[in-house]
Amino acid sequence: MLELVTTDRGPDTESAEAAVTFESLLELISRGDQEAFSELYDRTAPRVLGLVKRVLVDHAQSEEVAQEVFLEIWKTASKFESHRGSAMSWILTMSHRRAVDRVRSSQAGHDRDERIGLRDIEPEYDQVSESVEIRIEHERVKRAMAQLTELQREAISLAYYGGYSHSEIAGILSIPVGTVKTRLRDGMIRLRDELGVHS
Amino acid sequence: MSGTRSDDDLDPRLLTGAYALDAVSATEAESFEKATDSSATLRDETDGLVETATLLGLAATPVTPSTRLKADLMAKLSSTPQLPLSGAGSARHAATDAPESLDQAPDAAHSPAASVAEVIPAEVPATVSPAEAAPALAGPVESRARARWFSRPVGFVAGVAAAAALFVGGGFVGSALTDQPGAPVVTDASASGLAEIAAADDVARQTVAVDGGGTATLVWSNELGRSAVLVDGLPTLPDGKVYEAWYIDADGAAPAGTFAAAAEGTSWHVLDGALTPGDTIGVTVEPAGGSPAPTTTPIIVGETA
Repeated sequence: MLELVTTDRGPDTESAEAAVTFESLLELISRGDQEAFSELYDRTAPRVLGLVKRVLVDHAQSEEVAQEVFLEIWKTASKFESHRGSAMSWILTMSHRRAVDRVRSSQAGHDRDERIGLRDIEPEYDQVSESVEIRIEHERVKRAMAQLTELQREAISLAYYGGYSHSEIAGILSIPVGTVKTRLRDGMIRLRDELGVHS
Repeated sequence: MSGTRSDDDLDPRLLTGAYALDAVSATEAESFEKATDSSATLRDETDGLVETATLLGLAATPVTPSTRLKADLMAKLSSTPQLPLSGAGSARHAATDAPESLDQAPDAAHSPAASVAEVIPAEVPATVSPAEAAPALAGPVESRARARWFSRPVGFVAGVAAAAALFVGGGFVGSALTDQPGAPVVTDASASGLAEIAAADDVARQTVAVDGGGTATLVWSNELGRSAVLVDGLPTLPDGKVYEAWYIDADGAAPAGTFAAAAEGTSWHVLDGALTPGDTIGVTVEPAGGSPAPTTTPIIVGETA
């Protein structure tokens, strides 16, 4: 990793890893490399903000949370362990949980109540440019989601994109909590298998 | 809340999906995590679903941030302390091989090891230790994210959880870890020492195979200057022999206390003395009472880097 002293995406990196992966950028960031941070931000911020805003709706609040996420990345990059999962997953896990924490403790919770039913996952791509790797991931997820039953997709969307707890979902859908849990679990297992995720 | 409660509602096996989607309450998450600690099946399913959930994040519509967001962030970097690298090896690299771009942030980069003490405490309470402070900045859900990513090694978590459970049991600690009731291999002080290390922001660990069978996990915190070794499946030693831990550096090996290993389950030993970043931790078999210097070949060797 020591060869990676530049954030230029040159082809001559001698690292065993692919040139300037998110993982490599985190490694550089952990040593205080602001250029690496800048590059990571440029390449992931639309994703982070997109996920956070999907949960929070309110743009200003979402930017606040996104800023918290990126400061957290800056602070804790040294703790990222690449053998435990991808950098993108690490970043998105952090983003989602911060967004959920915010939505459950703020006005954002009321805002999101007004858009129950908006559960499409079809993004509009025109507004952002992003890396090929993310776009490919997106296509995979979209295809996998299509394999779920409507009820599973609904429950998962409410939980993940709505930030609702299972008991809230039970209330929204007027079904028992146990049914919600089952739908979430069955749906996630199906998704996992469709996506080929191995723990 | 129209759900009807039944016993099924309390079965953690049904909760993996909800947990992975952050759709559980903090209380539920806590008890669920305890359940995962004691079930590999549950843990595997949970890990897979958590990984799957993060992929859902990629299906959200990307949103271009305002230019102000990046400007604000970049402006904050220089004054935002970073957690130190886990191992001294890495810290050395940071100090001596710092990228040229670090000229912009000289203080943060050039003396990571030396500046840990000053840098971290100033920032820890509000921002880097969400489990303990500042719910507005980092709530319980996000803390769990940290818990998963920063201390996930399964064996280690299970081991520490087991240790913590035993510690809660108080006097149960000793007899539970040895086949000789009344001859505790660990003290309560040792258990709380382990808990303290495990809770450190910069906790790091490494699992190593043990010569002669079994596994050992080294756990350390440079911030605390402490370390522990958790062992599983080590041979029970004959009378008159003990395991002895060592801090090893270029000057040799310094004794760091003796311990016994339980016949079953996880035993651990919090090392005596202070960990210097970069030290190698070793364990040898020594005569009862320990030796001032190793007399046998180490069965466990691990670098804290």
